[in-house]
Amino acid sequence: MESFITELLTLLFAALRSATPVLAVVLGESMTQRSGVINLGVEGQMLLGAMTGFAVASITGDPWLGVLAACAAGIALSMVHAVLVLGCGANQIASGVAVLILGGGLSAYYGIPFVGDKIDTLGNLNHTFVSDIPLLGQFLGPITPTVLITLLAIPVISVFLFRTRTGLRWRSTGESLDITRNLGHNPAPYQLAAIAFGGLMSGFAGAALAVDYTANWVEGMTAGRGLVAVGLVIVARWNPWYALPAALLFGASEALNLKLQSWGVDISPYLLATLPYLIPLSVLILSYRGLRASGGGMPAGLKVVFQSAR
Amino acid sequence: MEIQLYNITKRFGEVTANDGISLDIRQGEVIALLGENGAGKSTLMKMLFGLYPPDEGSIIINGHETLIDSPQKAMSLGIGMVFQQFNLIPALSVLDNLLLAYPKPPFWTFRRLFGAGAPQRKVLAYLEELAPGLDPNTLVRDLSVGQRQLLELVKVLNLDAKVLILDEPTSVLPPQEAERLWGLIRKLSDAGRSIVLITHKMQDVMACAHRVVVMRSGRLIKTLSREDYNEASLVSLMMGDSNRRSEIDTTPLPEVTGRPPRVLIRNLHAHQGVQSIDDINLNIGAGEILGIAGVSGNGQLLLADALVGLASLTRGEVILDGITLHSASQAPKTSERIAYIPEQPAVNAVAGDLSLTTNVALSHFRQLSFFPAWEPEETLTLNIIHRYQVRPDNPALLAGQLSGGNLQKLVVGRELHGRPDLIVAAYPTMGLDAGAAHDIYQALFAKARDGAAVLWISEDLDDLMAYAHRIAVLQGGQVSGLFDPKTSNRLDIGRAMTGEKKTTTEHIPTPAEAHPRTAS
Amino acid sequence: MTSSTSPVLKFGLRLLAGPAGAVLVMAATFVAAALIFFAINGREALSLFHEMVMGAFGDGYSFSETLVKTAPILLTALAVALPARLGLISVGGEGQLYLGALFGTGAVLAAVEQPGWLLMPLMLTGAMAGGALWGVIPGLLKTRLGVNETISTLLLNYVGVLLVSFVVHGPWKNPNSLGWPATIEFPEGAILPQFFDTRVHMGLIFGVVAAIVLHILVTRSRWGLGLQVSRSNPRVGTTAGISYERNVLIVMAVGGLLAGLAGIAEASVIQNRLQDGLASGYGMTGFLVAWLAGQNFLRIIPLSVLMGGLLASADSLQLYAQLPKASADILQALLFITVLAVSSLWARRRAA
Repeated sequence: MESFITELLTLLFAALRSATPVLAVVLGESMTQRSGVINLGVEGQMLLGAMTGFAVASITGDPWLGVLAACAAGIALSMVHAVLVLGCGANQIASGVAVLILGGGLSAYYGIPFVGDKIDTLGNLNHTFVSDIPLLGQFLGPITPTVLITLLAIPVISVFLFRTRTGLRWRSTGESLDITRNLGHNPAPYQLAAIAFGGLMSGFAGAALAVDYTANWVEGMTAGRGLVAVGLVIVARWNPWYALPAALLFGASEALNLKLQSWGVDISPYLLATLPYLIPLSVLILSYRGLRASGGGMPAGLKVVFQSAR
Repeated sequence: MEIQLYNITKRFGEVTANDGISLDIRQGEVIALLGENGAGKSTLMKMLFGLYPPDEGSIIINGHETLIDSPQKAMSLGIGMVFQQFNLIPALSVLDNLLLAYPKPPFWTFRRLFGAGAPQRKVLAYLEELAPGLDPNTLVRDLSVGQRQLLELVKVLNLDAKVLILDEPTSVLPPQEAERLWGLIRKLSDAGRSIVLITHKMQDVMACAHRVVVMRSGRLIKTLSREDYNEASLVSLMMGDSNRRSEIDTTPLPEVTGRPPRVLIRNLHAHQGVQSIDDINLNIGAGEILGIAGVSGNGQLLLADALVGLASLTRGEVILDGITLHSASQAPKTSERIAYIPEQPAVNAVAGDLSLTTNVALSHFRQLSFFPAWEPEETLTLNIIHRYQVRPDNPALLAGQLSGGNLQKLVVGRELHGRPDLIVAAYPTMGLDAGAAHDIYQALFAKARDGAAVLWISEDLDDLMAYAHRIAVLQGGQVSGLFDPKTSNRLDIGRAMTGEKKTTTEHIPTPAEAHPRTAS
Repeated sequence: MTSSTSPVLKFGLRLLAGPAGAVLVMAATFVAAALIFFAINGREALSLFHEMVMGAFGDGYSFSETLVKTAPILLTALAVALPARLGLISVGGEGQLYLGALFGTGAVLAAVEQPGWLLMPLMLTGAMAGGALWGVIPGLLKTRLGVNETISTLLLNYVGVLLVSFVVHGPWKNPNSLGWPATIEFPEGAILPQFFDTRVHMGLIFGVVAAIVLHILVTRSRWGLGLQVSRSNPRVGTTAGISYERNVLIVMAVGGLLAGLAGIAEASVIQNRLQDGLASGYGMTGFLVAWLAGQNFLRIIPLSVLMGGLLASADSLQLYAQLPKASADILQALLFITVLAVSSLWARRRAA
């Protein structure tokens, strides 16, 4: 029994660590979509962030500089989306795909020299007071700084969005551009900030993946995490608190995949590797039922986005 | 605050919406701007609110000529406007909506932590006065239309507006709520605020206006003080020539009365989103015009969709000439025997980026050949365009390029061109001027005289009482009353609309029941 | 003098203000962006650009390689453009391509002993079924549950790729391949016909024919009219008796089927077997081409050739200038961004 609980907790904390990059993207993309803009380019921003973060960490030897550089790279690439969507009025889905491909290409191109490099990691909570906590210490110890930062972002975003004047206007921008304008507020700065914040979080997510979680750079290493995150935003109902369980869904599927393999389950690893896509997709399908019935908190501005793509 | 509009002229393309209008608004006074749709009332007030610049003329406030170039400017001068289309965000709470419109809202809006703090109390002060008991954390989408309107009023009052412009405020309200609003307007004017009431309803004027300004096709016809007008004189001023209502012949065909009703609506239940209709039982005879009255949002549109075959039924059936057309066991399916004029045809009845010809062809899409021939369709479209005076008269134009009124005419023409057995018309004359509305009524009721059954949804009780053979009132998705317009009065119908009293009034026989079937 | 030149000048200016001007601006911007990209990376921008054009269209061989790349791009672009005619944004070309290859190969492996006249149709049918399946699933999710098709197709892409990996590493792996994850070589009867001793194959013909047929159907037929109506206003379509749901399934299935053909053609002609990394990126490239063409089937054909040229030249640049393969992705993205920006600005200006 005790070993079962230990296994379960190990799995849960493994899920939390593998969920962190996805969680960061879900949080960022939720904020972007709350302003009425959808950005599929997060996948590309994540890749560019991962590559940049890893490269800077490798060159300077300081992984924290890498994290900062990753955030900057994410913001920079997201500005392509901002220019296309806000500046030119391009279709948001198409623009997102363009950013996705550009990010993938740039990261692959400039990442070649860094493949196989070794970098210093950000460390974890082992050998701090936390790991001395009885029973839980062994699970809390491996937790890394990016996990903590991402978790901390949840209450911060929530307070900002739901308890401040700026957050209120941010949400009204996503609900209706016209009404927001009629009320005398200019929606453009909010949407720009929202895209940039999405860029920041996806760049950070890339660093969480390459600099922290795997300490490695491989071309295309995000493997659709950013796109899964866009789907999970719907599952999370655009709410930062629900983002955690939604992202854990991905983390758990991935942890389960690895766990099953380590247990020597006789299923092809390639089939198991479909779990992190199929499980979020299934939950997305289930949550659409609720979304249909209630409207489910989808920012009304997004409906316009999907319809104008018709 | 005194406002003078001096010699204001506004043109849109070739249309002169306002032609040299002068008007003054005095402190503490309720002015009614009375006129039909398209008379130019809203345009005039939108200029005062800074939405359009006037082409000529000037606005003088407290003796100074003032340029009002934006709503923000108007609001800073103390002018507020409540539009027919509310500027409320349904997904946000009452408090959030008020905060969004509040001039200097607090940065932090912690609610539960500090309770309703001082700044919040200021935001909510008027709300508590006008709508005591309304929880500010309620989402706006859960409010009734009347409550939403109050909220809009609170927003304007929060801006400290001295002049309030209300655009057709009672058009969406049932009679009882309208009465409450009139009381509120009187109270606000007693407190020294000026109110401009844009309206086409006589009751609004009679209830609370100190002065009435009658407008017709962009011109100011007359300004009258309380003691100088009565309802009849206002109607004739507003309509110009004599009242056209009596001109339309709506007598059903004599031989029709001997047959059973063409349409039987039995035990109908359906729901769609938050809307639902429950246990609707109605008959429509051949040539009969059944009016559906009710406050909007009480199931009228769902009833229309269910009859047409756009909404699935959860129970019940619709029978046309003895054949079951829709039932709960079948997936909904439209039929070409039914003509449908939905509300807002620009949104619900045409494909905006396709040509007029294509849109007309849609009424008989199933009969087109696989590679359609377009000449006959174009001829038909031209006929409709000429018959209903659709402008511009080019069938190759895209539907989206036409104005709402012209699309309305096109859709009516398209739907009425064949020999439909059942016509479902929702607000077919909304937004049209009196002449065009008259034409449409005439065409619609001519089909009834040809034997079609007509279900006619309207918000205009006067029109319904003038033309419909019977009026069914929908309230909360149910038929709350069935009235004979000749023997009923407005107030009873109004009560049925608000559900104040469940008026299952005396049974009104359908034409078929009135004349028991004889051997035919 | 002035009187004779000014009409010409005026005509030229008017042309520039219209679509021709847009195309010119797009081309100029893209070339500039590409040159800047090369220059930033310390390359001889102009000579590299020259080399690119030669690598794509320089001689018969290069052009044939361009056409080899054109086929899957064309087919996957159609798989995007057809749903787009109903207002659906499908990004599932990649997954449908893999599923087509998977099912087509399955048919080949099951009927490997059969003669070519039977094997070939079986293979193609399998491929079409597989691609259509991967189109119908998001279609059903859309019509039954309202799940956004963009997200479901994106996620299913990854599943499709992994399913192919699964079979080539597992049940369908050729035991004699010395650990290389691939199926056995396709028999003679399962190799699509090729032309003029090049690798240019039937897939290209399928694509061109499909583009023309779809163009006629969508622009001239009642069915195509139904798509236009449903896209413009689904409610009006339903009122007229046009089933949006059925049309969603049809366009997703037909689109998937075409992408599936692209997949089996790659496996059959280019690789001669099913293996990992079958056609990475063609699905996305197809998406770009469909958007560049404004979802117009006829315009997709030349644009696919151009994009095929870009990919073929990237291959040759890899050899000639050691330019990483990723540069093709970057150039594609730059092209797409340019076209999106210019066409959106143009549309906005025209609306104003």
